[in-house]
Amino acid sequence: MSKTLDSSPSILALYARAALPMIPGASLLPFVPGGGGEIPDGLDLELTGVIAKAEAVAAYAKVCGFTLRDTLPVTYPHMLAFPLHMAVMSDGSFPFGAVGLVHVENSIVQKRPIGIDEEMTVRVRPTKLQPHPKGKTFSLETEVLVAGEVVWESTSMMLRRGGSNGDAPKQEKSFESLPADAPASAEWKLPGDLGRRYAGVSGDRNPIHMHSLTAKPLGFPGAIAHGMWTKARALAQIESKLPDAFEVEVRFRKPILLPARVEFASSNEGEDILFAVRNAKKGTPHLDGRVQPLKATNSKTAPKSGRKKTT
Amino acid sequence: MLTAALEGLIDRYGLQGETLGEVAGGAVLKHSRDRDLTRESVLSTRLAAETPAYDVQQACGTGLETTILVANKIALGQIDSGIACGADTTSDAPIALNEDLRETLLEANRERSTVGKLKQLTKVRPGHIVPAIPRNEEPRTGLSMGEHCAIMATEWDIGRKEQDELAVKSHKNLAAAYDRGFFEDLMTPYIGLDRDQNLRPDSNLEKLAKLKPVFGGPEGTMTAANSTPLSDGASTVLLASEEWAKERGLPILAYISEAQTAAVDHVHKREGLLMAPAYAMPRMLDRAGLKLQDFDYYEIHEAFAAQVLCTLKAWEDKEFCAEKLGKSKPLGPIDRKKLNVNGGSLAAAHPFAATGGRIVASLAKQLNEDGKGRGVISICAAAGQGVVAILEAPGGAK
Repeated sequence: MSKTLDSSPSILALYARAALPMIPGASLLPFVPGGGGEIPDGLDLELTGVIAKAEAVAAYAKVCGFTLRDTLPVTYPHMLAFPLHMAVMSDGSFPFGAVGLVHVENSIVQKRPIGIDEEMTVRVRPTKLQPHPKGKTFSLETEVLVAGEVVWESTSMMLRRGGSNGDAPKQEKSFESLPADAPASAEWKLPGDLGRRYAGVSGDRNPIHMHSLTAKPLGFPGAIAHGMWTKARALAQIESKLPDAFEVEVRFRKPILLPARVEFASSNEGEDILFAVRNAKKGTPHLDGRVQPLKATNSKTAPKSGRKKTT
Repeated sequence: MLTAALEGLIDRYGLQGETLGEVAGGAVLKHSRDRDLTRESVLSTRLAAETPAYDVQQACGTGLETTILVANKIALGQIDSGIACGADTTSDAPIALNEDLRETLLEANRERSTVGKLKQLTKVRPGHIVPAIPRNEEPRTGLSMGEHCAIMATEWDIGRKEQDELAVKSHKNLAAAYDRGFFEDLMTPYIGLDRDQNLRPDSNLEKLAKLKPVFGGPEGTMTAANSTPLSDGASTVLLASEEWAKERGLPILAYISEAQTAAVDHVHKREGLLMAPAYAMPRMLDRAGLKLQDFDYYEIHEAFAAQVLCTLKAWEDKEFCAEKLGKSKPLGPIDRKKLNVNGGSLAAAHPFAATGGRIVASLAKQLNEDGKGRGVISICAAAGQGVVAILEAPGGAK
C-alpha cells in the first residue's frame, strides 16, 4: 500500500517531527517516530506531477559544480525525493528518528537523462531492517517515472547505530575501490559554510551539516559535508565522461569536517570509472565510487526530449 | 549555455570523443574568472579533451569572426575541422567592484606590514559599495550604441515607419520559419525554452507605432521594438574540409567562400559607429568579382532597424559610394524580399557573440535546402567595426 501525495511535504515541519524522538520519552507519543522494532508496511509514498524548477536546478548545479544543461544533473532527482524520505522517516510508526541516522551508501541508476521540463512521478519505499556489524541498516528505495516508465532509481542505505550484531554480514555492496595510491586529479577547497549552502539548495538542513555548534551535540567535532553533495561534486568533476545511461554507486567513508581541503581521484581506463574523494593532507578516504555504463538495450529505449536530434 | 549548445551539435553530428582541429569561441560580457571560457566549456563536453580552444572577442562580430578564423585555418590546411561558437548571458552580466575600492584593495595588498594594510583599508568609503555595472557605452564617445545609431538615422534620414516595418517583417519571418519547422534541427532546447523568447508573432505596425522613442530624444525614431534587445544565447557552427565531412558521412550544407572585416573612425572622423559593414562589403565583392545584386539571400544583422536601413541606403547613395567607397557607381539596391528571410535579430534578439553563429547556421541550412544559391552576411559591431562573409550552396550559384 502506498500513499499518494499531491504536494511535496514541508521539510521544516518534518524536521521538527524527526527531531522529537531526541526528547526523552517523546517516542511514546503515537505521532512521534520511535520505539524500535521493525519498519512497518504501508509507509511507501508517491508524489505525482513533479516538475523541477529551473531556478532551483541552476542553484543546485552551481553549488555542486555541474554545468547547467537542458537535462537534470544525475543526482538532482534525489532533491525531489528528499522530502518524501523525510516524510517516511518521521512517520509515527517509523521505529526510530531520522536524526542520527548515518547515510552509508547510495547508488543511482539513470536509464536516460531527464529533461528539465519533464513531468515526473517520484516513489519512495523503505526496506526492512537488516542486521549490520554496527547496528541495523535499511534502505530508502526511490523511483522516478516519466510517462509510466522508470527512468531513474536510487537506493540510499542508512545505518542506525547501536545494538551488537558483530557477527552480522556487512550489507554494503562490494565493488572494487580505486587504489588508495591512485594519483589525485583535482583538489577542492571546501568552505566552512558549504553545509549551509548545500542545505539551501537541497532542503537537507540536518544540524550535523549546518554549524559546529549544531553538529557538536550530535557527536561530531564540527559541521560535516553532506554525503550527497560529495557524490554530486564528484560526478560533476567527471560529467563529460558520463554516458547517458549508467549506474553510479558510492560508499560514504569518513565524514568531511568543514572547512576542508580534499582531493579527487579517478580511473581513466576501461568502461567503468572508479573514483574517490580523500583528505588532501592525510589521504583519509571520504568517498569511494564507481560508474558503470548500462548496456545499450536500456539506453536505446530512451527517447530524449530535445537533445537528440538528427539531421 | 555554450556547453549545452556544443553538446547539441556533438549529439547531432555524432562528435562524441572526436578530437577537432580547434574550437574558437567568445563572449562579449565576460567576467575575469571566465578566462579560457571556450576551452573550459569544451572540457565540459563529450568532445575529446585533446581538442584545443581559444577565446575571441570582437563585440557583435565575434560569432562571424570565429567562423572566419576556423574556416581560414581549414582552407590553409592547418586543421581539417573545427567549431566556431559564441555565447552571451546579458541577464547575468558580470558586475565589477567599485573602481576606487578595487584600487584601494590592491594598494592594501601591496603593503607589506599589517599596519600598512590596515592604513590602506581605512580609505574604504561607504560610496565604494556602488559597483561598476557594465554599460553598453562606447568608451571613446560616451554614447551608447543606440545613441550612435540615432545619429546615423538622422544623418541618413531614416523614418520611423520603415524601421517599424522592418521590425514587423523580422518577427513575421522568424515566426513563419518556426512554424514550418525550419529550426527543428538547428535549435538545442535549454532549460525549458525551445524557441526565442523575444519573438512576437503577432507584432504589427499599429502596436509598434504607439511606442515611445528610446534613442534620439523625444523626436527620435528608434523604439524598443525597432532596436534589438540584448538577450542570452549560444550558437555553434561545425566547419570542416570536404574530406573530413565525407569520411564521416556528414552533410555539406554550404561553403564559406569569402570574408572581410573593416573598421571606421567613429571618434575623430565622426563616421557612423555601425557603418563599417558598408565599407567591408565592396572590398569583399571586388575580390569575389561579384555585384551586390548577385545574392539569393541577404543576412544583415538587425542591431537596430535603422542600422540595416542606413547601410542599404548608403550602398544606394551615389555620393557615399563615390567619396567613401571610391566607387564610380553606387552598389545599388537589393531585392528586399531576400533580406533576413528566416527572421533577424529584431525578432530573435541579440546575445552578442552568439548572433554570428545563428546567422551562419540558418543561412547554410537555407542554402542547402535550395541546393543552389549564394548568400551574404553583414554584421556591424561596437567600436566601429563590421564583418561580412559569403556562403555558397553545395550546388554552386544559381
